[in-house]
Amino acid sequence: MAGDEGAEIYEEREESMDAAVDKETEIKTEGKEDENVLQFLDSLDGYLTLMDSVNSKLREGWFDLASARHSMGTLRINSTLLDLKYHPAASTFQVTDQEVGSLGSVPRFALSKWVSKGGGSPKGKDFSTDTDSEIGSPLSQQLRHRGVSEKPSAKDENTLAADEEIKKERAKSLSVFGGLVSPKLRGAQLSFETALETLVEIANMRASMLSAFERITEK
Amino acid sequence: MYGFEALTFNIHGGYLEAIVRGHRAGLLTTADYNNLCQCENLDDIKMHLSATKYGSYLQNEPSPLHTTTIVEKCTLKLVDDYKHMLCQATEPMSTFLEYIRYGHMIDNVVLIVTGTLHERDVQELLEKCHPLGMFDSIATLAVAQNMRELYRLVLVDTPLAPYFSECLTSEDLDDMNIEIMRNTLYKAYLEDFYKFCQKIGGATSEIMSDLLAFEADRRAVNITINSIGTELTREDRKKLYSNFGLLYPYGHEELAICEDIDQVRGVMEKYPPYQAIFSKMSYGESQMLDKAFYEEEVRRLCLAFEQQFHYAVFFAYMRLREQEIRNLMWISECVAQNQKSRIHDSVVYMF
Repeated sequence: MAGDEGAEIYEEREESMDAAVDKETEIKTEGKEDENVLQFLDSLDGYLTLMDSVNSKLREGWFDLASARHSMGTLRINSTLLDLKYHPAASTFQVTDQEVGSLGSVPRFALSKWVSKGGGSPKGKDFSTDTDSEIGSPLSQQLRHRGVSEKPSAKDENTLAADEEIKKERAKSLSVFGGLVSPKLRGAQLSFETALETLVEIANMRASMLSAFERITEK
Repeated sequence: MYGFEALTFNIHGGYLEAIVRGHRAGLLTTADYNNLCQCENLDDIKMHLSATKYGSYLQNEPSPLHTTTIVEKCTLKLVDDYKHMLCQATEPMSTFLEYIRYGHMIDNVVLIVTGTLHERDVQELLEKCHPLGMFDSIATLAVAQNMRELYRLVLVDTPLAPYFSECLTSEDLDDMNIEIMRNTLYKAYLEDFYKFCQKIGGATSEIMSDLLAFEADRRAVNITINSIGTELTREDRKKLYSNFGLLYPYGHEELAICEDIDQVRGVMEKYPPYQAIFSKMSYGESQMLDKAFYEEEVRRLCLAFEQQFHYAVFFAYMRLREQEIRNLMWISECVAQNQKSRIHDSVVYMF
């Protein structure tokens, strides 16, 4: 009799433990679902903000181009001056698959602007949207220095040299319209360049948004 | 003898001066521009222009219109007016009117050479050329590899031949060399035109000297601003400035070493006529500089009509029409891009 009561108590305890584990699992699952929903909503918000930004930049670019045509004349800025000779692309675009935590495998888009025309290592900058590697970010591995150092570091000199090269490549791209172009045309070039970067960010944001949506809908 | 043109000018120039003053009365007014600025699309612009002198040129254009179509058709009106005046003119007025074309010829030569360098079809380039700058052998420009060939094969028989003496080299044509060639030719053309007007004398010389000096100064400022941050050296930049004008020679010395827009402002503010132009802009800004220069140019061109018996009215009319076409192009672009709030950034009113 005592043994039966003991077995019953043991079974009740096991059942209550199972129920507690189930409840804990349910809470964890709900938490995970909420996390996915939040990630999706964040991605959606970022996507919409970036779409507004790219529309605004493109409008600005087209307007600056019209201003440049007004300033320099329609004979100096028109489509018949564009170069039809074979030449390497000024910017390249890579697509890779990346494992991102709970989202699983997500396609990742990266833009390399103003890459070297003669092959070899790119002179330009990689504009993938990995903000953790920015200098000064809390997650950066770089040491932060107080005050201003008098001598530029090797990295600063490399950055300056890269910036100079990019400036030359920009000027070379615009040289189809002549050696001396209006600052408005340079402004238009920068606007379209920024719009291109934003488009790549939009592609990345859309990929993570769709992945988060898939996570939410799969059950 | 200055002051006695009234005795003899009308014998050969009276009819054409009356014609050009009639054309001047047909230029768009502020009321016309206000109507155009309220248009919702390019078809509305076409409708408003149908009541002006451009009406017959645009009426047969099908929808949807493009801004380049509006500019091309309005330019045809300018070309027709010019050709009518040229065929009626006698010497020296006919030579004076020919000089007005040479700037467009230089632009066309550069367009053909640049387009050929970029492996564009010659026919496509010829369609884009300005009608006032066309000449018989223009299509042959596509065969030249350097400036010496350009001169020897084609340009030696054109009115631009005398302007090539300073830029005859055997260097291959590339984008920067072509740009230097453009500015060197234009410099030689302006100086030649200036000397021609001085030779005519009288009111023509007085008014045209002022207008051409302003043109030379404006080009100097534009060359300076556009060459900031480029590979053009200070010496090369200075060589592109014309050898006359208010800025010659001391202003040119200072402009040649400018490295940013504020230094350019510092140079120009020493000259009272240009101080007023630069005072309209804030420091570091160059966006409104073009409009400020155009407004000053229009003011001087309108003043040319206040005096009679001189040839400067023809030059002034042609320039005012070109400004009007620029205004129409700008309004059309703003309407097409739905940026009507920015229309007044660059429209220059004349009357």
